[in-house]
Amino acid sequence: MSFWEEFLPALFSGVITTLKLLAIAMPVSVALGILLGTARVYGGRVARVLATAIVVIFRGFPLMVTLLILFFGLADFGIYLTPYWAAVIGFILCSGSYQSEYVRGAIRSIDIGQSLAARALGMTKMQEVLYIILPQAIRRALPGISNELIYMIKYSSLAFVVGVPEMFSVAKTFNSQWFMPIEIFMTLAVIYLAMTTAATVGFKWLESKLRIPGIEITTR
Amino acid sequence: MSGDVVLRAEDIHKSYGKLQVLKGVTFEIRKGETKVIAGPSGAGKSTLLRCLNLLTMPDKGRVWLEDIELTDPKVDINKMRQKIGFVFQEFNLFHHLTALENVMIGLTKVKKMPKEEALRSAKEALLTVHITEDLWHKYPAQLSGGQKQRVAIARALAMDPVIILYDEPTSALDPQLVGEVLQVMKELARKGVTGLVVTHEIGFALEVADEIMFMYDGKILEKGPPKEVVFNPKHEVTKKFFEKIGRLYGERR
Repeated sequence: MSFWEEFLPALFSGVITTLKLLAIAMPVSVALGILLGTARVYGGRVARVLATAIVVIFRGFPLMVTLLILFFGLADFGIYLTPYWAAVIGFILCSGSYQSEYVRGAIRSIDIGQSLAARALGMTKMQEVLYIILPQAIRRALPGISNELIYMIKYSSLAFVVGVPEMFSVAKTFNSQWFMPIEIFMTLAVIYLAMTTAATVGFKWLESKLRIPGIEITTR
Repeated sequence: MSGDVVLRAEDIHKSYGKLQVLKGVTFEIRKGETKVIAGPSGAGKSTLLRCLNLLTMPDKGRVWLEDIELTDPKVDINKMRQKIGFVFQEFNLFHHLTALENVMIGLTKVKKMPKEEALRSAKEALLTVHITEDLWHKYPAQLSGGQKQRVAIARALAMDPVIILYDEPTSALDPQLVGEVLQVMKELARKGVTGLVVTHEIGFALEVADEIMFMYDGKILEKGPPKEVVFNPKHEVTKKFFEKIGRLYGERR
């Protein structure tokens, strides 16, 4: 069998694995980012401290170290994660922590009058956050959040360290057998580029769809 | 508490650090009345207004809405605030909602009104403040200052409040837009919507207010019928203030 006949189907299954990682990690990381960012501004003492600790830790740890701890480290405590779930959880914690900072900044940038008006209407703190603050904050944080998600596409390659057969690990394996780095890694790079470009276009579309006059959501 | 008093403040004190902003303010307002609070800046007018719906917590003193004491820690203040309309100097419309949605959100989310009913009440409130259908689906950033403030009044009005508190509602407006907001406020006053208005618009006070309370240095220095307080005040500071205001604001009605 020729190189390409072997490489392309294998790479294809790697691409599918990468997409499976991202399909869970992307949406859940956004939810975590919003939760952490909101908790750090509006949470009670315990929630605030906890959220801050999560952000400090997972923004401070190199992602590769986080992944190794999740996969090998937790095993020492009897928690056995599959490679797939170790990678997904690692991505969620890392990206969610970064995203939370955009959310927190966006919440803080909303003028106090919005909160006063919500309270004057009789809204509870929860209603104020859900109906007034977050719809505005998320729009403002969207460029930052999409940036993090595009970044996640690329660092999903780190899942190879815990043995997830995603597209980078497929390429790496093939290169050690065939030693055709140009063919192998250029093909890989083009696929990553296609994914990030698609994501960029997608997020731009989302931003324009959510645009409301007077709430700036795109940095120009 | 006597029959038709809807809001009563008793001996309200508020300090920020060493600065005593309110030094014991007592007054009441009856159903259907419009009262104006005037006074130089720094007198504590806005702080007083915010102490009435507890957006600012007074250090001392008590506030009643109808027969419920708001300052009682056991009272659910969120529930009580539904009954107190508040109109801000800076409008504070919700930026992410259209004019119609701004008016509806309190009805659907706070009062839990069914959507159909909320829509009907919101439209009615918007028409009352002369916001016509072509503006209902515009966002705040697409409205003029006068339109924004009228939507804000509609937002308060739609909640069917016991009283509306206005905090310098025309001070952030371009001069040519002040008239349309004052017009709406006058119409509401004439319809018997109870209102407490912090304003420098003496014309408004003379035309529709039942009483002016002149605040100075954290207290109500004097109060009485608008004509009396404006043209024939007891205190020298009151006289000076209204002379100055008269020059600044001219004959605007």
